[in-house]
Amino acid sequence: MTDFSMVNRRYGYLHECKWPLEAIDMHHVVVRKSNAKGFFVYLSALIVVANAASYLFLVKDKSIIILLWGFLMSVLLVKVMFWNRVMKESVVVMPTFGVQLETHYASGRTVHRFIPIGKILKPVLLECVSPVTCYWSLSLLLHGEAELTLVLKELRPPVKMLIPIWKALCDASDIKEFSDSWKDAN
Amino acid sequence: MADQKHRILMVSDFFFPNFGGVESHIYYLSQCLLKLGHKVVVMTHAYGNRSGVRYMTGGLKVYYVPWRPFLMQNTLPTVYGTLPIVRTILVREKISLVHGHQAFSTLCHEALMHARTMGYKVVFTDHSLYGFADIGSIHMNKVLQFTLADVSQAICVSHTSKENTVLRSGLPAEKVFMIPNAVDTAMFKPAPERLGNDEIIIVVISRLVYRKGADLLVEVIPEICHLYPNVRFIVGGDGPKRV
Repeated sequence: MTDFSMVNRRYGYLHECKWPLEAIDMHHVVVRKSNAKGFFVYLSALIVVANAASYLFLVKDKSIIILLWGFLMSVLLVKVMFWNRVMKESVVVMPTFGVQLETHYASGRTVHRFIPIGKILKPVLLECVSPVTCYWSLSLLLHGEAELTLVLKELRPPVKMLIPIWKALCDASDIKEFSDSWKDAN
Repeated sequence: MADQKHRILMVSDFFFPNFGGVESHIYYLSQCLLKLGHKVVVMTHAYGNRSGVRYMTGGLKVYYVPWRPFLMQNTLPTVYGTLPIVRTILVREKISLVHGHQAFSTLCHEALMHARTMGYKVVFTDHSLYGFADIGSIHMNKVLQFTLADVSQAICVSHTSKENTVLRSGLPAEKVFMIPNAVDTAMFKPAPERLGNDEIIIVVISRLVYRKGADLLVEVIPEICHLYPNVRFIVGGDGPKRV
């Protein structure tokens, strides 16, 4: 996937209007592969197993359970760091029909959520402040729900990648942007 | 030089919705700076549910950082705990000058220290008088000496306050400016004619806490009224020292 419209050290943004229907708008935010992370995770797993094996050989009166535990811990480490990792999040906008939010994991599992267009009150770009950082997030205000629904659940791309997605959601749910409505009113 | 526009970060533990002198000072100063064309951002800790980014009049952006206050509205002092969020705010708002308020505010001290470490210009305003003898004051004065050792300028709100701050922090007196608190004459002006009365009416409006001398007031009022029957007191305000 080298043809990203916008690219960052961690994220790439891609916009598609695909066959069979050009009306369907797809926005993808892809996590770029980090070689350093893979190297460190596999190295730590190898160190854990090597430690268990050397312990077994040097202290001969211990059972093989230790080596098995070592294998188990390495497998758990690799699973946590890699298996549940998010590869890509997509927003599929189908005008007059609805919006589909997808999260693709490295294990091949995909989580879908569909929101009918009538349920969307407004898509909002908000600044979220946590005790250690502050970041932009894109959320949807829905009818009948007290809490905001995050469009990109796991990923936190920079705001310039969120703006085209927000504009597409505004157009689909028929909310004119603030500047447009001012122009109409005046 | 006069045309240069700054992007200022005001830092203090004390801001609206909490109500008081420091809070009003920060708010009105920010409004005047906004009118002059500068950009102002305020950073304070979260008050109850009020957390995150809020916008006030004139486009004043306030960051209510979700750090829990631990003692008298002060954030828990963790020396480096606030470094990530302070740095994030300084970078994303492209701040050029950091202005801390009130020696009693731990968030102010930490933010000034981090900003100075990162090379930003730093200004400090002290609003109150503090003692020298008790253990709390000694501790705070030591922290103040540390923070103010490398501050660009300092401001005090009266000559007495300047003397107090210079003695407590060891700053050279030339570095401290005296800018008294202003009164908004659109809201407060004397009556055009003196209300003719033989009575002298003394009005006291303040928070009724120890720091404002409420105990002294309680002792002094009966004495004065006894000595001078034409003197009347009107006391407005609330607090733990209300009798």
